[in-house]
Amino acid sequence: MKSALSLGKYRLVVCLGAGGVGKTTVAAALALGGALGGRAVDVMTVDPAPRLLDALGLAPDTAEPCEVELNGLRRKPGARLRALKLDPKTTFDSLVMRYAPSAAARDAVLENRIYRNLSQALTGVSDYMAMEKLLELHADRSTDLIVLDTPPARHAIDFLDAPRRILELLNSRAAALLGASSGFLGQSVKLVDLAARGVLKAFDRLTGLGLLTDVQGFVRGFEGMYQGFAERAERAQGLLRDPRCLIVVVTTAEAERTAETRGFLDSLRAIGLKADALIVNRTLPEMPSLSALAKLKMAPALKRKLRRNWDDFAALKSREAESMNALRAMMPHRANLIAVPDLGREPSRLVDLAAIARYLTGVDVGGNSASAAR
Amino acid sequence: MALPRLIFITGKGGTGKSTVAAALGHALARKYPVTVADIDRRASAARLLGVDLNGRGSAHVGKQLEVRALSPRAELESFIERIVPLKMVSRRMLKSRTFGYVTAALPGLEAFLMLDRLRILAEDAAREGGYLVIDGPASGTTLELLSVAGGLGALATNGLLHRLARELEKFLTDPESFGVLITSTAEEASVREALETASVLDRRMRVRRVGVILNGATGHSFSRAESELAATLGEHGRLMERRIELGAIAERARGRLGGAGLGLIELPMLFRASLGKKEIFELSQTLESTLAHL
Repeated sequence: MKSALSLGKYRLVVCLGAGGVGKTTVAAALALGGALGGRAVDVMTVDPAPRLLDALGLAPDTAEPCEVELNGLRRKPGARLRALKLDPKTTFDSLVMRYAPSAAARDAVLENRIYRNLSQALTGVSDYMAMEKLLELHADRSTDLIVLDTPPARHAIDFLDAPRRILELLNSRAAALLGASSGFLGQSVKLVDLAARGVLKAFDRLTGLGLLTDVQGFVRGFEGMYQGFAERAERAQGLLRDPRCLIVVVTTAEAERTAETRGFLDSLRAIGLKADALIVNRTLPEMPSLSALAKLKMAPALKRKLRRNWDDFAALKSREAESMNALRAMMPHRANLIAVPDLGREPSRLVDLAAIARYLTGVDVGGNSASAAR
Repeated sequence: MALPRLIFITGKGGTGKSTVAAALGHALARKYPVTVADIDRRASAARLLGVDLNGRGSAHVGKQLEVRALSPRAELESFIERIVPLKMVSRRMLKSRTFGYVTAALPGLEAFLMLDRLRILAEDAAREGGYLVIDGPASGTTLELLSVAGGLGALATNGLLHRLARELEKFLTDPESFGVLITSTAEEASVREALETASVLDRRMRVRRVGVILNGATGHSFSRAESELAATLGEHGRLMERRIELGAIAERARGRLGGAGLGLIELPMLFRASLGKKEIFELSQTLESTLAHL
């Protein structure tokens, strides 16, 4: 088990993890680490905290790659960092515009009731759009490392699995039944499909939803775009399975999170992927020794308070150690386990990210933020 | 005002939603029948109360305390069985992959049915004079979930779903039936999310906010003179500075959350080597004594 990541041979880094573990921060720090090491890096963030945007010097609506100012940080020649924020709706719109076979088909989709009201809630849309953005970034030859933050996942592999699920949906008999006639012609009709169609009609009548026609319109609207979508989904899938893709699972050392992390690792395994690293974010500092405290000269009252303070942190530290052990036990073969100590504040400046990058990549990138931030 | 029959707990990831759900369930169960239900399959509130539900079913953990796992899928199944008269057809339907894709294409339906289940459970609780505590998903997902009623209701202009949607909206905006309890840590990002959630609930959805829980905030007893010695005390001085900084962060959070006109409850950081049943019990006592002030 190594204690830091070497990004050298990778072209893509994907950060997965439960909500609230600091995934976006870790993604940004990894990207910064890569850039300061002399690479041209793009990082795509999902829902970054305003402070993190500040740290990167970005406006809140940066949907296209925007150069991050690296002044004041020690960096190798060639260093470049660009960051952007995922905007699923805009990405989806531009995808439709690009692949619609005609202006009429394009408008039919963009104006469809389902698309307009509910396309963002549609399972996997933001995941799929993150994939789409990845392909766009990947097509830019000036970039040699892409770091992806991923949408908060209810299920561990929502993101990695998105292309497959979208493909399945588009290819499915359901789509055929609902109106994508060209796909339907080639397939034999099974009894259960007919039953399904009948039941769906009844369902619509009973619920008064009248949505079925809209769903049909939605599905039919995408006719002629399937090919383009499918190819792109396939390519994205290929990038994820490429040996130059580094998959990182971010967690914190808390009992609740370790259970979720186990779920992430299991589901990765289930789709034939493996986490290359487990990053434990915001760990507590090492505990100082009590004998050092005994030797210090001070008023007894202060000494008692310091001892109590030590006891408090020691309790938290041992709770953390238990979680660390659980995490260690679930590590995939040859994966890295990296602990990133808590900065004691929210990262709000580039030097804070550089400090985190130092723990992640093991390279001193000149972000000694402990002193710089004071 | 008394607590609503259904208390929906939400907050940023990692702010202790499950811990609060478990502790609140405990606190209320001293006087009333209570169900603590999980709707995101992690069933972690149940686990904190000592039961592994494995995503399904229910179990009693005390004389008046029940834990329960709710799943959108199970709601969909029972809805289909309700509207499709022939069992054979509905079963076959649910098993076919085709149907899975169709429901995926009808976004919001599962969420909608989930909300309807909550409405029914809250009615049951009201009848028994008890409460329902929901260990909800993170704030973003919760706001999406709660807005589904309005969204789908507007799409379905007549029929069963339309009627259900109107009933749901009535339920969600009735302060005696439904209320949201927001959890936050002292960290700025979670405070901000809590305030945003509170504002959307109030202004856009007209949903009652029960209050905000500031979870894991800590103070310290170091005087200013003592803190100035930190630099001379080596590692222990740094640990002291860390504690003082945590106290300052907590103070800022208190100010921002308290200034928002929401009921603020503090659950102190428990400096314990483990967080188990005993600690949940302790937190429930704190909750019980402060709930009265909301």
